Amino acid sequence: MDRRILTAIVAGGIALAVLPWIGLPAFYESFLYLLFHWIILAVSWNILSGYTGYFSFGHGAFFGAGIYGAAYMAGTLGWPFLASLPVAALVAVALGLALGAVVFRVASVRGELFALLTLAITFVIATIILNTRIDGGPGIYMMGVDIPKLGPNQASSIYMMGLILAVISLLVAYMIYVSRFGAGLFAIHDDEDVAEVMGVPTYRFKLYALAVSCALAGLAGGVHSVFVSYITVSEVFSITVPLSVVLMSILGGSRHWFGPAVGAVAITCLLYFFTSGDGAVLGRAIFGGILVVVILFMPNGILGLFSLLKRMKRKPATEHVVPHAAPAPEKAAKIGAPILRVRGLSKSFKGLKALNDVTLEVREGEILGLIGPNGSGKSTFINVVSGHYRNDGGSIEFMGRELSGQEAHFFAQAGIARTYQIPRPFVNKTVLENIAMAGMFGAAALSREAAMHEAHEFADFAGLGDRKDALPDDLNLHQRKFLELARALAARPKLLMLDEVLSGLTPSEINGAIDMVRRIRAQGTTIIFVEHVMRAVMALTDRIVVLNHGVLIAEGLPAEVMSAPEVKTAYLGKAHA
Amino acid sequence: MLNIKRLAAAAAVALGCAGLFSAQAVAQGSGPIRIGGTLALTGPLSATALVHKLTGEIYIEDLNSRGGLLGRKVEWIVKDDQSKPEVARTLYEQLVTSDKVDLLMGPYATGAILSSIGVAQRYNKMIISHTMGIPALAKYDMHFPGWSVGPKPEDTVPVTVFEGLAQLPKPPKTIAIVTSKFPSVHFLSVGAREVAKKRGLQEVLFLEWEFGNRDFGPIAARVKDAKPDLVWVGDIGLEGNMLLEAMKKIDYVPPLNIHLYPAPGPMANSPESQGAMALTIFEEHKPFTDNPVAAKFVKTFNERAKAAGLPYTAVETQAAASFSAWQILEAAVRATNSLDDRKMADWLKANQVDTIQGKLRFDRGNNYGDDLMRVKQVQDKNWVTVWPKEWAAPGATIKTR
Repeated sequence: MDRRILTAIVAGGIALAVLPWIGLPAFYESFLYLLFHWIILAVSWNILSGYTGYFSFGHGAFFGAGIYGAAYMAGTLGWPFLASLPVAALVAVALGLALGAVVFRVASVRGELFALLTLAITFVIATIILNTRIDGGPGIYMMGVDIPKLGPNQASSIYMMGLILAVISLLVAYMIYVSRFGAGLFAIHDDEDVAEVMGVPTYRFKLYALAVSCALAGLAGGVHSVFVSYITVSEVFSITVPLSVVLMSILGGSRHWFGPAVGAVAITCLLYFFTSGDGAVLGRAIFGGILVVVILFMPNGILGLFSLLKRMKRKPATEHVVPHAAPAPEKAAKIGAPILRVRGLSKSFKGLKALNDVTLEVREGEILGLIGPNGSGKSTFINVVSGHYRNDGGSIEFMGRELSGQEAHFFAQAGIARTYQIPRPFVNKTVLENIAMAGMFGAAALSREAAMHEAHEFADFAGLGDRKDALPDDLNLHQRKFLELARALAARPKLLMLDEVLSGLTPSEINGAIDMVRRIRAQGTTIIFVEHVMRAVMALTDRIVVLNHGVLIAEGLPAEVMSAPEVKTAYLGKAHA
Repeated sequence: MLNIKRLAAAAAVALGCAGLFSAQAVAQGSGPIRIGGTLALTGPLSATALVHKLTGEIYIEDLNSRGGLLGRKVEWIVKDDQSKPEVARTLYEQLVTSDKVDLLMGPYATGAILSSIGVAQRYNKMIISHTMGIPALAKYDMHFPGWSVGPKPEDTVPVTVFEGLAQLPKPPKTIAIVTSKFPSVHFLSVGAREVAKKRGLQEVLFLEWEFGNRDFGPIAARVKDAKPDLVWVGDIGLEGNMLLEAMKKIDYVPPLNIHLYPAPGPMANSPESQGAMALTIFEEHKPFTDNPVAAKFVKTFNERAKAAGLPYTAVETQAAASFSAWQILEAAVRATNSLDDRKMADWLKANQVDTIQGKLRFDRGNNYGDDLMRVKQVQDKNWVTVWPKEWAAPGATIKTR
């Protein structure tokens, strides 16, 4: 965390807090309040939608819940205004958590479905408020509500409340952005399933992000209730709020903590610039045109463009990378007691048994080869033992702890890591950030700073030392495979499952990879090695397990297993002649 | 250390933003009298704002052609509040504290009016609103309404309507009240329930819909089943048209139907709307146009509205309320011979102002005076005032089907 940024936010807030006392026309307070208002809303939206990628159109509902929470308590029930603000936040948080608790459990409700669902919630809440005593139709009048004196007059008190909230919102957005929590949220944005398997408690993180987002939106609504002074359902729950915050965040750059604030300032200033009565419609058309042009040419927003330019300035990296480390011993590690016991493991997909009553053990320090023809269930086995899929039957005992039925991040935190056959890096994170993710959320459970520090070592180990700041899209297949490996290693796993890491590599690259796997094992890591390159299987593995049609058909030393008739049949087919 | 370049850029942006607004500030003094206000020139309420803008421009031109006020020309600074109350508030702050206008003219939609009243109250400025339809909310003692609905329209407006209908050879005995939950409409419909009960009208149906509803089929069916003699429709904009079209689809024609604030053009021109009644304060016929000021305004407005491409070019409630607001402001300045807000407000509370909708006074609750709401009816695709008799178009009476 950069203390200079925190200091700058607080110092900016203190500087602006002086404004009501220096005699500027009060209009500036009013206008700046509007800036603060939109900054809070845009930044709070971004904490959920920009960071996690869960694009919400429901921010109007959370904002509206805050407005009505405060308006009902202070305007209708006569509570002190300050006491109504926590209610505004709590109502919004309760609404968000109730929604998230259900929606975030359903894997299919992502993308546009989530956006539509949150939009629908806005209308549901509006209907409830309109048809109950909360509003009932006539609206809530707030003109007589006393607000705490934070400035020379009422307007400056509202200004101060907006300022304080905006500063808090920016601090919260920044602190999340640079935290381990923030790294998890951005991983969810890029690939939620991989994030979960890597150890990110995705469900919990999404709920936390939603709660923070709702709390800030609710507070913004609470303060805004006294600014507008007359609250009606049609104005509060109009589509303007969610559309505006989305537009602001995208314009400013939704992958940056400060982007939404930049967008909020730009759009509010632009809109205000075109308030002259002459040519108001033309002004709005020009405003729309500017937005279209900016979004077309800066799809990642204003700050996204800056980030891109910054990256382009860095020196281009070399195409070929070679892991630079000393050759590893042939077979070094001591084989110990079983650390993974799988009993009767089953997994079906719509009636097709991908794993059928598989029982096996993996011993500490060994390299277990897991082979079989295509479709034999090898990848399913890895997916189940890494928690990516839940098993239908059987048990998975890892280091004496039963894991079946648990969410995937428990598997990672227990010490299991994996690579993907087709690399699935977090596409918007750099090589270094990808690797650090595993350090933060895997068995190592490091702080963000420590994980970033260690990531350098693993990048060097995997031969990616020159590409630390590159994005995955800038890597070739070989490099992406090694990124998978570095990422899995950074978790400091007890058990590492390598899913066809050698496929697509050249012979010399395979030699380098074999050497690297040996060195990994030499450091005490147990490995399940799924591979079709038999040269590597025979060179590396201590034992081999063979799957065919989801059934374990052979198990033993490599030479014995490979000569077993049932294995030959599985690979070559039955001789009928 | 913070990056100096970044700091400089931030400062430049901040100064640029500030410059946008301060450039418009003009020192107070001699020169034209500057009247500031906002209208919803863009956004969902913009269609009606054009009527108010046109009316204001016509009025200011005419005022200046008569020599202006206090020997000075008059300039109207109108800003676009974008149909947002929070923007309206900020713009009024700007008009008062930065532009330093001499006088304030209010906007027309309830939310924006209340925002502007709040600003006027903080700076002790008098403000005149165009169409503030919920008097109970307008508590500022220097706010004056251009729309004469009286301090308790929820009581007096239904009385006017029911008294008019009571003159019919066969007065209604049963009533169905269906209403939007739009605030300025809803409270009148709720008031109508109470008044109907007191007058012995049997309520056979009460239904509400949310503002923005587009499906009026079920409401039409319920009204048909209830078989009322009179349908009170608490509608705004095109809601009434949609309800009548839904009724036509099920072969139902309400015997008597009164609408609150329908869009005047579509309602007059629709075949289903013939005989529909609504509330008004002004229509383009005698005796309203016996007033030469009104006649002149009607002529000019018709021409200018046509040239501007407005869909409905006749003067009715919105334009008349807007014109009256300007008349109130002019009267206050001329009578007090000053721009002092307090003096003008005191004078208005003690005197009547002659406007094109009639004589207005401001000496009752929240500076409202008499309820001058009248009943009009679509007859041969034209709106004609039918009640009270003294304001009815020559020979016009309420027609039943």
